[in-house]
Amino acid sequence: MGEERRAVVAEYVLGLLDANAHEALRRQIEGDPALQREHDFWVRHFAHLDAQFEPVAAPAHILPKIEERLFGEARKASWWDSLALWRSVAAGAVAVAAVAVGLTVLEPRPDSAALTTQLVAALRAEGSDVQFVALYDGTGAVRLTALSGEAVPGSDYELWAIQGGHAPISMGLVPINARTTVELSDAVRSGWGEGSVLAITLEPKGGAPGGVPTGPVVAQGAVTKI
Amino acid sequence: MSISADSREIADLIARCALRDRAAFSALYTRTSAKLFGVTLRILRDRAEAEEAIQEVYIKVWQKADRYVAGDTSPISWLVAVARNHALDRVRIKRPVSADMDEALEIADLGPGPERSLEQAQDSARIAHCLDQLDSDRADAVRGAYLDGFSYEELAQRHAVPLNTMRTWLRRSLIKLKECLAS
Repeated sequence: MGEERRAVVAEYVLGLLDANAHEALRRQIEGDPALQREHDFWVRHFAHLDAQFEPVAAPAHILPKIEERLFGEARKASWWDSLALWRSVAAGAVAVAAVAVGLTVLEPRPDSAALTTQLVAALRAEGSDVQFVALYDGTGAVRLTALSGEAVPGSDYELWAIQGGHAPISMGLVPINARTTVELSDAVRSGWGEGSVLAITLEPKGGAPGGVPTGPVVAQGAVTKI
Repeated sequence: MSISADSREIADLIARCALRDRAAFSALYTRTSAKLFGVTLRILRDRAEAEEAIQEVYIKVWQKADRYVAGDTSPISWLVAVARNHALDRVRIKRPVSADMDEALEIADLGPGPERSLEQAQDSARIAHCLDQLDSDRADAVRGAYLDGFSYEELAQRHAVPLNTMRTWLRRSLIKLKECLAS
């Protein structure tokens, strides 16, 4: 039976496992050196088939698009450079999402002049039709509405704020098929405004363990002035 | 096997991407994008989707460049793996999840079995040789999964066998393949 089980690692490398099984095994491989060796064994051997992929010239407009997405905006680049969330993108299973965020900051901070600003963020990732709209209503809470998308069994969507070079701050779980209101915590509010980034990841049921995002990003984008 | 000058140059470009060298990124794209576009197009079988995927692939390459370890795998294999895995991720999320795969994941007792060293893995003829030891239709199924991203359902249809038969076939073939590759 041990052999049968080893064959599962080969199935993983070939891409034959379904999304749930693939993700579960990915985590197991990450945490188990023996599985990692088994994985690397198959990757190295199968890589010799790579010569059979025939090159096809990519259209000329692709590189400028990539460079725009990577370098178009310094702030965006620093977000893309940021740590854990990107790792989860690399883990795969990403979804197309568009998130528009309008927010008005009505309450002045004690050390600053009164501030009333309208901001918007359009967030994109690849793969499914998940769409959210979030609105800041001036009372310290973001109202989040999913326009489309489907719940994933055994998983929850989790909202994150990323501000400056800091680690993402969880803003809690968000349902995919109902409206929800998310209170801005003090930690989020203190850095809130243009340049803040909102991201939504797919996490294990109950949310990311340890308050650190682990799952694929299904939506992300920087908040900017309207 | 010595690393070719071409490989060394690509490895160098990846290393410079890890240092946030944008010119190196552009050069890397120019050198390798046709290969990786070929990968995404073959697996996704849709030009618009492949064009979207190739953008994501190079964004990942930029972000993950610091994780490429020269000498571990050839740089082009590493790039192909990024492209192939990304394309498969896109395909996978559209596929149904099947319940009976769960038991397959009970692999916690996988022993720390002795693994073969790197130099043997670099024998590029070995995978071809070992695939040749399988029945030709089963070798085709393994190649179809790797190169075309076929699912079990697609493989079963193509080979006109029931789904469970295809699973059994392929798992047995992979066990045989492992024995041959490791011998």
